[in-house]
Amino acid sequence: MTSTTVQRHRAPVVDAAAHRPGLGAALSWESRKLRSQLRTKALLVGAVLAPLAVVVIVHSQPRPPKDTLFGRFATDNGFAMALLVLGFASQWVLPLLTAVVAGDIFASEDQHGTWKTVLTRSTSRSTLFWAKTAVAVAFALVTLALLAASTIAASWLVVGHQPLTGLSGQVVPAHTALALVAGAWASMALPIIGFTCLALLFSVWSRNAAVGIAAPVVLGLVMQLVGALGGIETLRPFLLSTPFEAWHGLLAAPRFTGPLLDSLVTSAGWSVVCLTAAYLILRRRDITGG
Amino acid sequence: MRRSIISVVLALVAVVAVSGAVLAGTGGGSSVTQARLERSLPTEFANLYSQQARLLGHQGVTPASLQAEAMCDKGGAVEDNVGPGSNWNCLVSWTDPNNPMPPEGYGKFELDVHSNGCYTASGPSKLVGFQTITDRRGAEVTNPVYEFDGCFDPQGDNTPTGVEFPSLVQVTTTALQPSDDGTVSLQLSCGTGVAGCQGTVDAKAGDTDLGTVPFTIPEEQTATVHFPTPVPAGADSVDFTVTVTKGVSSKGPGVPATTTLTLPAG
Repeated sequence: MTSTTVQRHRAPVVDAAAHRPGLGAALSWESRKLRSQLRTKALLVGAVLAPLAVVVIVHSQPRPPKDTLFGRFATDNGFAMALLVLGFASQWVLPLLTAVVAGDIFASEDQHGTWKTVLTRSTSRSTLFWAKTAVAVAFALVTLALLAASTIAASWLVVGHQPLTGLSGQVVPAHTALALVAGAWASMALPIIGFTCLALLFSVWSRNAAVGIAAPVVLGLVMQLVGALGGIETLRPFLLSTPFEAWHGLLAAPRFTGPLLDSLVTSAGWSVVCLTAAYLILRRRDITGG
Repeated sequence: MRRSIISVVLALVAVVAVSGAVLAGTGGGSSVTQARLERSLPTEFANLYSQQARLLGHQGVTPASLQAEAMCDKGGAVEDNVGPGSNWNCLVSWTDPNNPMPPEGYGKFELDVHSNGCYTASGPSKLVGFQTITDRRGAEVTNPVYEFDGCFDPQGDNTPTGVEFPSLVQVTTTALQPSDDGTVSLQLSCGTGVAGCQGTVDAKAGDTDLGTVPFTIPEEQTATVHFPTPVPAGADSVDFTVTVTKGVSSKGPGVPATTTLTLPAG
């Protein structure tokens, strides 16, 4: 008798049609799934520890790595070291970091054959899609923030915080340099979101985690190669690798921010196109066989 | 599944190939231009050169006092001055009372320019010194102007700067080798600069005039001038006087430059 009363009290709170949990619940499940994975923890720990190792190793080199921007000052200037690591990370590390999670997040449901269970019993396709997308993007941004903080802190502590020589030969005082280096790292957020959406698309479309993880990284490298070629530079604004270089303007005098605005447009364009395609593919998918 | 992957990859390749071919055919619209380099390089050079002056303890050198200006050129006369590449050369002039310019009035910088608007420049070591310099406290430090990286705004001002420098005419022959009929030839080079080189070379062996031969050399090329009169027997050297009408000789604008080359014994 008591139990029926309780049920009756609870029932009106949620509408019959909305018995399914909302986006909040889906988000918490997805983030819980992600947090319980070993590789997520490994990536986050790696994002904190790897920069320290890289900084110590590069710092101990007898000759500075001159072939990368800021490399020639990296062994005796902490800000240059943080920018050297940034230049290196943007080549393939950042796309890989986000793809490891985003490329797997939809494909793992295929791998484990859990689409039917999740979609028929728990939630709607679009709720699940947005939850997975939000979790993947949040993971990318958290990883980027950790990597940036760890790199800047390690460079500051290991190499030092001397005034930095900028890309126009100007001397940048330490406190300004710190803000600019942090800004340069922050500008990676736009392309990394773009690469996350690209990985999500591959994850949905290929139903294969390996493709979801590898394809964005390979495409990133191809775009970098295409962007570096002479004669076809009109393509550069459309490449998702170009935003990784938008920070150069911050370290020049006078500063230029045109490439950062372009970076916003390019990254947003790629993100919207990839997410729309992924959403449409997922909406039309036949999961009954899964 | 596999078929769809293949078709998507093929479509992507086709799109990239076609657009690449079209763009390559139309010139590509590169943001790497002569005017942008000519604005970026002197600014950066002036900043770094005054850093060097501080290290060396030179007085009265500021980025503004140097009045640095540059003329940039890609690949000599045969190539358009646009696009990335490692064959960019920039002639830079500046004013430093501690270290005057050579007679031609500029130093040549070699640049490797990337499509993203960043470049690596190496300065002429006879003007800016070698990789390390001794600072005023006696320590060996890295020379900031020997080699440096810079970036320009890919959307920056692209109106021509109008800075022009004449090509430097130099004698590149180091040892004379008379041919069988006793005549001699001289090799000349025309450096980076505007509009190539033109002038005459007069050769004298002792009191004998071997003739005056005109030359016209395109930018960044070499030419050989041949003197029809044989060198008289017993002469041990030949004086070549280069008079430049277009370009600049190694003695300065409008000044003839004489080079004496010895003849092999016997």
